[in-house]
Amino acid sequence: MAEHLERFERQASEIDDRAAWEELRLAWVGKKQGLLKDLLGRITEVPPEERRDFGQAVNRLKETVESRLDELDRELAAAEEAARRAEAAVDVTLPGRDPGLGSIHPTNLVVREIVEIFTGLGYSVADGPEIESDYLNFTALNFPPGHPARDEQDTFFVEDGRVLRTHTSPVQIRTLRDRRPPIRVICPGRTYRVDNDLRHSPMFHQVECLAVAEGLTFGHLKGTLEAFIHRLFTEDTGVRLRPSYFPFTEPSAEVDITCPFCRGDGCPTCSGTGWMEILGSGMVDPRVLAEQGIDPDVYSGYAFGMGTDRVAMIKYGIPNIRQLFDNDERLLRQVRG
Amino acid sequence: MLFSRQWLGRYVELPDDVDDLCQRLTAAGFNVEHVRRVGDDLQLDLEITTNRSDAMNHLGLARELAVVYDSGLLPPEVDTTGCDRPLDGCEISVDDLGDCPRYAARVVRGVTVGPSPDWLVERLESIGQRSINNIVDVTNFVLWETGQPLHAFDLATLAGPAIRVRRARDGESLTTLDGEERELDAEILVIADAERAVALAGIMGGLDTEVGRGTSDVLIESAHFELQRVRRGANRLGMSTDASFRFERGTDPELCLWAATRAAELMAEVAGGEIAPGAADVRDAAVDWRPHGRLDRASLCRFAGVEIPADEIERILDGLGYELTRDAASETDDAWSVRVPSWRYYDCEAWRPTEKPVEKTGDPPGDATPGGGAPRVWEADLYEEVMRHVGFDAIPADLPALGAPDAGSSASHLLRERIRDHLSACGLAEAIDFAFHDADADASLPPLAALVEAPSSLDEAGDGDGSGGEVVRLANPLSEKYALMRRSLLPGLVASALFNQRRGAEVVRLFEVGHLFAAGRPEVEAVGLVCGGVSPLPWNAARRWDFFAVKGVVEDLARRFGVELAFRPADLTGLLPGTAAEILVADGERVVGLLGRLDSDETTFPLFVAELATAALERDGEAVQVEAPSKYPGIEADATLTHPEEVAWRAIADAIEAAEVEDLEAYGLKDRYTGSGVPQGAVNTTIFFRYNAQDRSLTQEEINQRHLALVDELEARFGLDTEGDA
Repeated sequence: MAEHLERFERQASEIDDRAAWEELRLAWVGKKQGLLKDLLGRITEVPPEERRDFGQAVNRLKETVESRLDELDRELAAAEEAARRAEAAVDVTLPGRDPGLGSIHPTNLVVREIVEIFTGLGYSVADGPEIESDYLNFTALNFPPGHPARDEQDTFFVEDGRVLRTHTSPVQIRTLRDRRPPIRVICPGRTYRVDNDLRHSPMFHQVECLAVAEGLTFGHLKGTLEAFIHRLFTEDTGVRLRPSYFPFTEPSAEVDITCPFCRGDGCPTCSGTGWMEILGSGMVDPRVLAEQGIDPDVYSGYAFGMGTDRVAMIKYGIPNIRQLFDNDERLLRQVRG
Repeated sequence: MLFSRQWLGRYVELPDDVDDLCQRLTAAGFNVEHVRRVGDDLQLDLEITTNRSDAMNHLGLARELAVVYDSGLLPPEVDTTGCDRPLDGCEISVDDLGDCPRYAARVVRGVTVGPSPDWLVERLESIGQRSINNIVDVTNFVLWETGQPLHAFDLATLAGPAIRVRRARDGESLTTLDGEERELDAEILVIADAERAVALAGIMGGLDTEVGRGTSDVLIESAHFELQRVRRGANRLGMSTDASFRFERGTDPELCLWAATRAAELMAEVAGGEIAPGAADVRDAAVDWRPHGRLDRASLCRFAGVEIPADEIERILDGLGYELTRDAASETDDAWSVRVPSWRYYDCEAWRPTEKPVEKTGDPPGDATPGGGAPRVWEADLYEEVMRHVGFDAIPADLPALGAPDAGSSASHLLRERIRDHLSACGLAEAIDFAFHDADADASLPPLAALVEAPSSLDEAGDGDGSGGEVVRLANPLSEKYALMRRSLLPGLVASALFNQRRGAEVVRLFEVGHLFAAGRPEVEAVGLVCGGVSPLPWNAARRWDFFAVKGVVEDLARRFGVELAFRPADLTGLLPGTAAEILVADGERVVGLLGRLDSDETTFPLFVAELATAALERDGEAVQVEAPSKYPGIEADATLTHPEEVAWRAIADAIEAAEVEDLEAYGLKDRYTGSGVPQGAVNTTIFFRYNAQDRSLTQEEINQRHLALVDELEARFGLDTEGDA
């Protein structure tokens, strides 16, 4: 027995993988040709008085072998698990594979943000064509033919006499024409004016808002503007309305916000005033309502419009309007929101 | 517009605090843009809106300041006694009072033309005007004081002497004060003497009748010309002067005689001479320049959203020159009938865009009262006057309680936003190009706007008769480079792609969503793509942006909206032959877009473009209906077909579809292979097939039979005959 044990120990000490372990197991405790089975089978060859001791000796050997095999099994399993883990391990600080996300244009992200604010307030989006009739772009908005206010619009004319819309206000007229109050729409879109310099692009973007219902007041205009501006910029942004003139609103107000660069202290961007003109607004002129068959003695409304390109430039720190439209992917792909 | 603080102080008492002055002017609607010190005076640069021509002068602005500071207005004293007598020494006539509703004139005799006194020079210089001589300076001074443009004629040079306001004759000409000879026509209103035109009415005087060193007797013209007439004349002649600027915006018709007399008195003061007795005053007596209306305090407060006391309303409007009469019949006494001052006639005029009926009871406001009386003013015009002097700051902000939205957002808006989300998630960056370009750009790629027959909800301009589609041209483009409205997004996108290539980009992936324009067609909204190159970093599992990558993005975009597209080979301008395809919606013949490789020698790597009318993505009707997946495992089988490379995948796919094999759940392209083992001119196409049934497990045997039959059929129709017939 001792030599069996010695032989087993020697063989077991040489085990270094699962296959050798299995071979060893089969050779010693295998159900068919294992040595221990064979030894037990030979008990008949042992004299009867020695059988008890022989049997016990074989069983002790079997226990030792099985225990050692289990031990080896655990060692091997641990080594295998360690190897499996080592194989799966990565440098988690390596960059992920870039799926190559694209981007949405900064102006359209700003438009989206504005639209989301207003849809949250119960407005819906309306849109329209970019080539409009003189009537929808001017006359219906209370720009009399030949009125000097038309000059300020620097209009592109199409050869057939129509115009490239100079503002998204024609969409307001289409809405007033096609729907009845209460009306609440937000109108984003491309607009055009004959203007091409460092600060102006001949094509630009506007968002306009229009609400018409019974009992709307100038206070409602102010409240809506403040809620909007605080959401778009920051809660502590100052809002100032000052009287101005637009043919389609009466009274009209330019809206200034505290300069987002200097927070109102005065800097070169705001010419030291601390204020930045951001949008035009007013109560819808009764002539505009009446023209579309809406009784101005019953209904009132407010409207405002703003350029979104400049907001995008402020928001994303784009220094000039050319860079907003030259479609350099290195710039476009930085914009996230 | 420049104002002198000291000059303003002549008519209204002003505080020393300049910041306060500026803030209050801005709050009242006169935005102070700059303040500059000139000597011991301050020059204020104000933005005066086009409707406030009455405030484009010192007296007018002082009137506003008098209300702002609640103090009295101190206008200069002018003695108009005797003005009701006829003017001696010049015949005045007006051909058409429509062109010139009022023409007033006075004469000063025996003046000595020379330099102006210091006070007059300083006043003019304080607002950046140059002194010329005492007579001309007085006319300028009165213009900047009162807003009334004046002209001084050398009376001795007027034939007649007579003044006749008439249209120019065709072929007539006049040399104006600036020395230019002007060709005139019947659209232009002139001042003529007994023989010839001597001035352009409301624009500029003539050289021959100019006041100069030898002038002794001066005729001062102070007229009111019709806005459009002056504007048309100035536009026709390409001129703009201080006078025409004001006439075009509307002057005060009731001011003419007063201003002429003011100028006459000043001339007598600074140039000697004597004011001739009497005055000319030809006018249209039928026009009442003071619109009337009603103002109701409760309505005003409701509109403004703030309580405004009656005496404050009265103080403001009275100070601004409105005439208020308390409405005795009103229960609360807080209502007035109002007459608007003549200098606000044009701001408050009752013009309406067109005469459309308003569905309401009672008389619509704004229409001229029958019988030629004064027009009615809209109440909102009066509200504005009160509200801007109460101060917008004093009106509390309030969010309106509005009910449910009146309508959903436009379908095209929602579609656009989803397209942006989808394509940006696919790795493309959104570009924005100008909507106009030049003829070369227009011709460089197919004009999708003219090709698509997709309906558009954007415009009703299209007549739908299939004609049109030509390029739309701007009448006044910035330059020829921007003269044509785009009929495709692709020329702009390609230009942007080349711009990025020139800046060293190794991969370009851009898209744009925008309108396309074509004559006689509705505007078409389209989405365009331009892609090319390979992402430069192998780590990122570099993706090659080739034809099939772009096609995949387009197909995927359509699939996102439940739309299947079909692609048909076509010869298309600007695209490499053999790579170009028209895109159709799968169930029809409608061309909705195009796809292909750009045929250009400017590119550093190949660029692939695609463009699609977004209307093609608008699925109408019900949502896509799903098929419940079978609960049994399917059986997959591949087949590799070796066929001539001319055989189109579409033909193979059509044959598979046509075979209508039972229980064939799906099939598709697994891979394509050319190279070793494949004969020259042939290609190996490996197709996967998946068979499944809803109600049971299929057996390999029943599938083998169908599958092999299908593969045999495909081999027979498309396969390369490798066995040979010989």
